[in-house]
Amino acid sequence: MKLRRSMLFVPGSNTAMVCNAFIYKPDTVMFDLEDSVALSEKDSARLMVFHALNHFVYKDVETAVRVNPLDSPYGLLDLEAVVRAGVDIVRLPKTDTVDDVLEMQAAIEKIENEIGRTKKTKLLAAIESALGVVSAVDIARCSDRLMGIALGAEDFVRDLHTQRTKQGAELMAARSQILLAARAAKIHAFDSIFSDVKDKEGFLAEVNYIKGLGFDGKSLVNPNQISTLHEAFAPSIEDVDWAIEVTEAAKEAQEQGLGVVSLDGRMVDAPIIARAQWTLELAQASGIRRD
Amino acid sequence: MKPAISFSQFDNTNTRRVKKVEHFLDSVDLELSPDIEVYVSAREDNKMIACGGLSGNVLKCIAISPEKRGEGFVLSVMTQLLNAANDRGRKELFIFSTPKNRTFFEECGFRLIEECDEKIMLMENTQNLEKYKNSLSELKKDGEVIGSIVMNANPFTLGHRYLVESAASQSDHLHIFVVREDASEFKFEDRIALIKNGLSHIENITIHEGSDYIISKATFPTYFIKDKGDVNELHAKLDLNIYRNHLAPKLGITHRFVGTEPYCTVTNNYNKNMKNILEDKNGSSNIIKVIEIQRVEYDHKAISASRVRALLKDKNYEELSNIVPDTTFEFLTKTK
Amino acid sequence: MSVLKKSAYAGTLESSDAYIQVSPIEEDDIKIILESSVKEIYGDAIEELVRKTIQDMNVNNVLVNVQDKGALDFVIKARLQAAILRACEMEQPEWEVL
Repeated sequence: MKLRRSMLFVPGSNTAMVCNAFIYKPDTVMFDLEDSVALSEKDSARLMVFHALNHFVYKDVETAVRVNPLDSPYGLLDLEAVVRAGVDIVRLPKTDTVDDVLEMQAAIEKIENEIGRTKKTKLLAAIESALGVVSAVDIARCSDRLMGIALGAEDFVRDLHTQRTKQGAELMAARSQILLAARAAKIHAFDSIFSDVKDKEGFLAEVNYIKGLGFDGKSLVNPNQISTLHEAFAPSIEDVDWAIEVTEAAKEAQEQGLGVVSLDGRMVDAPIIARAQWTLELAQASGIRRD
Repeated sequence: MKPAISFSQFDNTNTRRVKKVEHFLDSVDLELSPDIEVYVSAREDNKMIACGGLSGNVLKCIAISPEKRGEGFVLSVMTQLLNAANDRGRKELFIFSTPKNRTFFEECGFRLIEECDEKIMLMENTQNLEKYKNSLSELKKDGEVIGSIVMNANPFTLGHRYLVESAASQSDHLHIFVVREDASEFKFEDRIALIKNGLSHIENITIHEGSDYIISKATFPTYFIKDKGDVNELHAKLDLNIYRNHLAPKLGITHRFVGTEPYCTVTNNYNKNMKNILEDKNGSSNIIKVIEIQRVEYDHKAISASRVRALLKDKNYEELSNIVPDTTFEFLTKTK
Repeated sequence: MSVLKKSAYAGTLESSDAYIQVSPIEEDDIKIILESSVKEIYGDAIEELVRKTIQDMNVNNVLVNVQDKGALDFVIKARLQAAILRACEMEQPEWEVL
């Protein structure tokens, strides 16, 4: 399974970042054509991202693009550009209902058919409103192209008529809902950005918190945040030891032709074995956490 | 996720925002220039962190708050300013700023024209100064005494004529530059026509149309800002440095003639600086001797263009006829 | 053949970017003015890239002013194409051509 711990936000109008994002090796590079791009620059940023996606440095990196809403003058043009350029994931700017997802999917399908693309562009739904949160389960299940749902905290708290705080009490309900919905639909769950890039402690605290909740990854605004995030998501020695034991037990059971895998007198079923394998992959990718 | 820094553009009718710019400039020890048409400002967390202005073809009042310097941020501000200029079809631009910013602006395609006292400098993004200098070279005349006069002549009076006659009689050849900016009561095309008509009897003169490089809004903005009581001395010096180091040598100018100035503070100040700068032995180019010629009087009062304009307003044509040449008088009364 | 209806610009003066201005001209030509810190080494290549990009867009009679701040090829292309599209007042380009 693809690691998606870090999704680096790259404003499509910031040339230096567009050119250099791949260097920092985030799990996913997310080019933004929406909020971080001024209206007068939408067309220019679109072309920049189109060319970047086609460039060889981004061939081996998972790419995503946050497009403008389809009911804006820009959304459809954004799709034309990025689908043709072969983007891996299209991030919906704001997903309130199932229809939002289906509409986006239909628009993308149309373009894919026009250009004869067989690779299906994936979708990522950003949930930024109360309506989106209460519809999260339906949204998460409505399309087989949807690979994950993400929380857009800034807009969300505004919809709630409150502000963001360090502790994040205002996000508790949203985070839980999104996580539950993602797990029920067996897709990824992503947490929102931490915008104070100078507050390293605060960032780490939030990362540990959402990791504890079960989130798969987080959106980032600054490459500096990548290593902190990856380290925090790395499994501990105990996790790895446990994972090794489980995988070895599974291997043994298979060699002996046993139908059931057991470890320390307890049955170990498929999901646990999968989790163990995932842990080992994670350890390989991000190293082992020493704490 | 909105960008942390936001740019905005507004014009001088937005008094509230202009005041904020003035405040910001003050905080970095700069003065707001009242002739700015379009402003660009950058804000982060609701605080202003940079600003810049466009006045005609001149970019000025460009300032960045100290915390933001050195990050290449000035390039973003310059982009916004160039965009504002471009939107108005102005591509040939000047920058008026402090010399320490020189390298930043060079990175934006600007070249130094002249700087003064390490306090101000003028740059341009074209080769127009070179082109202008080359065109001047072609008009060079031989002689030991090559004189020059820079005049606005708003309008051309007997005082001006007297000045030219005196200067021409003392020179082998006399070059007259007519200030080009249309910031006076009388338009440039009218002023220069009156000058040419009023001087048709003198042989050894060349009348030059002024340029951006000699008493213009680019070299000497405060000359045209009427509210300013005292002209900015640095601006005067800059204009004179350009004259001495770039323009005068191309024509082999050895002397500059001025009329004594009893009325206008701005011109008076300018003349004072003229002697200091043009005759400074430590300068990098040849000394230009400044000769002050006493203003000719009528009825015990010095003849001046401002007096002409006052008389015109009062419709005092009798007295008027005594202080302007016939050619000017015809023009003034015709347009009545 | 696409025709420039007005002057236009795109890009910034920031590092790694390019500030590009295009304007229509009478002459049946593509005139290029390039300012770049690497003009000596890459000047010809950049001019060639600019010329080809414009030709691929089926455009002529244009004066291009490029202020290169160390931009990669694709950046120059992106900014140039944006400027040309703005000048032609076209929203949607022919993507295959780009």
